[in-house]
Amino acid sequence: MARLISFDIDGTLEVGDPPGYITMEMVRRAKELGYIIGSCSDRTVSNQQRIWMAHDISVAFTVLKHQLPLVKAEFSAEQYYHIGDTNIDQHYAERAGFAFLYPDTSVDHLWFPH
Amino acid sequence: MATQSQYSWRRDKDGLGVWEHRGKVAVAGVGHSPVDRRWDGVSMDQTLGAYTILACQRAMQEAGVTLDQVDGIICCQSHIAGASGGSASQWAPRPYFAPPYDSEWGLTLINAEWLIKQMQFPNIRYAPDNVPTISEMVGLAAQAVGDGLCHTCLVIYPTGNLEGRYRRGGENADDYARGARQWTVPWGNHGGNDFINIFPHNQYCLKYGGTHDDLAPFVVNQHRNGLLTPWGFNATHDIPQLTIEDYVSSRYILNPLRLWDCDRPVNASAAYLFTTAERARDMQQPPVYVLNHAQHNFRQRTTQPDLDEIEMWTDRAARRMYEGAGLGPQDVDIFNPYDGYATMTQFFLEAFQWHGVKRGEAFAFYAGDIRVEGPHPFCSSGGNLGNGRTRTAMYTDSIEQLRGTAGARQVTVRAETALAAFTTPSSGGWIMFGKHPS
Repeated sequence: MARLISFDIDGTLEVGDPPGYITMEMVRRAKELGYIIGSCSDRTVSNQQRIWMAHDISVAFTVLKHQLPLVKAEFSAEQYYHIGDTNIDQHYAERAGFAFLYPDTSVDHLWFPH
Repeated sequence: MATQSQYSWRRDKDGLGVWEHRGKVAVAGVGHSPVDRRWDGVSMDQTLGAYTILACQRAMQEAGVTLDQVDGIICCQSHIAGASGGSASQWAPRPYFAPPYDSEWGLTLINAEWLIKQMQFPNIRYAPDNVPTISEMVGLAAQAVGDGLCHTCLVIYPTGNLEGRYRRGGENADDYARGARQWTVPWGNHGGNDFINIFPHNQYCLKYGGTHDDLAPFVVNQHRNGLLTPWGFNATHDIPQLTIEDYVSSRYILNPLRLWDCDRPVNASAAYLFTTAERARDMQQPPVYVLNHAQHNFRQRTTQPDLDEIEMWTDRAARRMYEGAGLGPQDVDIFNPYDGYATMTQFFLEAFQWHGVKRGEAFAFYAGDIRVEGPHPFCSSGGNLGNGRTRTAMYTDSIEQLRGTAGARQVTVRAETALAAFTTPSSGGWIMFGKHPS
């Protein structure tokens, strides 16, 4: 069964404001490794979708920060991760049963082949 | 330099009559810096100080005024994030830079002394210290020019923001709400700010009907107007137009206050050139006359303001403005009340009875045509919600509407008077502008 990664944008992705640790190449690599990927942000859904389109990355979901339960309901995964830079990310991630990770080198292990 | 008692300029009492300098003071120049989300900590041409200098230069350039012609500086030297600003409001303990950025001055705070020195104003004779925020600064400038303390005065409002936690410093960083704070700010600063907005707002819905999400059309329209403001954050950062669906699906900050009910802190500065009406007529822009200014600081009867208090306060503020200008609700063409939280704007709308809106009628008004090109161009500026937390869009738009230079935001209705404010219901100030001096 696949694993799922939800990415916050601002402060998490390199294209966010402020820029974060996760590069778009890392996002592409995560997809190649078989992760179900998408974004979970306070940016509007249309804004999130625009970012992914601009970088030619097809994602499985784009949701608002409090909507991670919807992601969990829609996608069956072996493990659910949310990567974000604030305590708000942590709050909503853990409330939805996601493992919360801060966007720094501590997330690198997710990109090791499994 | 000329000095003035800290409060002798205020028009903060009921029954003061028509302002003695009505039509004798004018705004002749406006200048805005770029509006960034935050200072990046490395670009020295984008510091709060650099942006403030730029705003001043633009205001003077617009008016056709040189440094030696400016004899007054009114600059807000407090951080917009307040005393409990948190890491977003203070550069220290990081090392400072070479002068003039060898302290917080110029990086996160601006004062008249720093500005006068950096810009080398040679003839300043009025530069008061410890000035209040822009809601009152514009009144102070108008009164100072009217009273002859200066004749050409720059009013500067810097709004700084660094990366980090906003308003989460000092007592707000504590894990406990100690003493009286347990009643007034139980969840820290934003708990307090939001409580002021939420409790009366919920009472409003119970009393008059409607739900919180009836604010959606208003917030969406603020974003629309912001995208029509060339210097604003939303317009310059490709922020997509907010939709009703975006609004109603956004998360709660403090139920029912939603994410998009709250303004976005930014790093920017704005400057306005106030002068005498006579001088303004010889400057480069059509004068925008000051018809009245008023301030208020109403005493709360409890730790939690309620709907009755807020309606009473805003009614009194409206009466002061109309009395001082010698005008009434039917005379106000452009109305730019504060929208720092979307939940408070309706109280001003109803108090001032703009376009006939009375108590309990705001939601129905919002559901109508409030676009700038329509019959009821409410908050044509887009305010803070549409432009970022500059607190200046209301003033700039009012001036531009009366000049006829608001571009895509230019209203199609009559535009000869304007009311503008950054203010809360309990404290702050208003200013009324006129295309004509009388």
